[in-house]
Amino acid sequence: MEALIQLGVLLVLVSLGFFVGRIAEKRHYSSIIRREQEQLGRPTTAARTVMGDDRPVGRSELVMGSVVISVDYFKRLLAGLRNIFGGRVQAYETLVDRARREAMLRLLESCPEADQIINLRLETSSIFKGRQKQVGSVEVLAYGTAVYFQSPLQ
Amino acid sequence: MEFKPAYPEDNNNVSHNNPLREFVVLLTGVLLVCVAVFVVSGWLVDRAVLWISPKMEAQIFTALSPAVKDSVGQRSSGEDVLQQLVDGLGSCIDVGYPVKVELVTTETANALALPGGRIIVFSGILDKIQSENGLAFVLAHELAHFKHRDHLSGMGRGIVLTAMTAFLTGSDSGLTRLVTPAVSLGTASYSRSREARADSLALRALHCRYGHVGGATEFFRAMQNEERGRGIASYFASHPEAVERIQQLEVLQRSQGYTTEAVTSLPERLMQK
Repeated sequence: MEALIQLGVLLVLVSLGFFVGRIAEKRHYSSIIRREQEQLGRPTTAARTVMGDDRPVGRSELVMGSVVISVDYFKRLLAGLRNIFGGRVQAYETLVDRARREAMLRLLESCPEADQIINLRLETSSIFKGRQKQVGSVEVLAYGTAVYFQSPLQ
Repeated sequence: MEFKPAYPEDNNNVSHNNPLREFVVLLTGVLLVCVAVFVVSGWLVDRAVLWISPKMEAQIFTALSPAVKDSVGQRSSGEDVLQQLVDGLGSCIDVGYPVKVELVTTETANALALPGGRIIVFSGILDKIQSENGLAFVLAHELAHFKHRDHLSGMGRGIVLTAMTAFLTGSDSGLTRLVTPAVSLGTASYSRSREARADSLALRALHCRYGHVGGATEFFRAMQNEERGRGIASYFASHPEAVERIQQLEVLQRSQGYTTEAVTSLPERLMQK
């Protein structure tokens, strides 16, 4: 009986994780894609100098964007199974991908007036380790330099 | 250099395989491995148990589990009666070493065979049973476990199961929860077959001791009233359902041509608590 209850609880958790996680991921991706297309016009690079522009730089500032995203129960279990056999942990791919892109978007959205973002860096860290040091959620921090050119009138 | 914004068509940082498929494939793999390990180690345990002589067993387990009541002076009169019953059955089921009975006063109605030749009888059982024959059957059942060395293989399998669970818990806790039910399903079915085997030997012993098998199903009939409708849980149970056990005993009784006669009532001394 005890084993049955355990199995039941697990099934609920897994299906909750699977369905809710799937819906959340779909929604997040559609939001990411829409916002990325909105932000597409501005050069955002990892280069240390301003690119493709001869205008003098008016000012520059440090900009950051960070996000913490967690995997659902289903994916955590799937990754656990994958850990036994080895191979690409596909369950975690969307987690990291979403986190990177969301952090970038937050950075870009924090400086709507900037002309370019240069010196862009991304840092990832797992900030929650569940029991047995499983990866639960990751934080991605994006930081860079927002460059504002001098307007011709100045 | 001119800046031309473009948006990539595909996201090739993410795999587009079906995660459910991956899950099913991997889980099946893990379960197969676990079942295989369990079956093989169970088989090895059963083999190993045959190598443990009664003497060795007594040495190991008297050291491990000190007796609840050790000195003879503390033994109650009820225990003496039970001991006489067990000794009487000894000629019908030769366990190969002395078996000691202990009576524990509690409401639980059950009896256990512990390694080292100890039978623990929980006094609740005395309320469920009306006759000496019924009690003798329960004791014979425990003796049969000793005879088949079920107490050792049960324990050995328990150790294997614990080791396996610990191994899996080491890698991932959620996994253990997935695998444990499957393994316990296997253990339970194994245990049920052992119980059935012990029942049939106990019936033979009862016939050998009393010349008839009256009272054999007494305890199960009492338990039957308590466990109505176990449903799916019966697959996980370590003991067969009482109804099933009664049926099996009756089938065996008919095939062996055992008769049922009047039963002897429980000894007075046992009833005084």
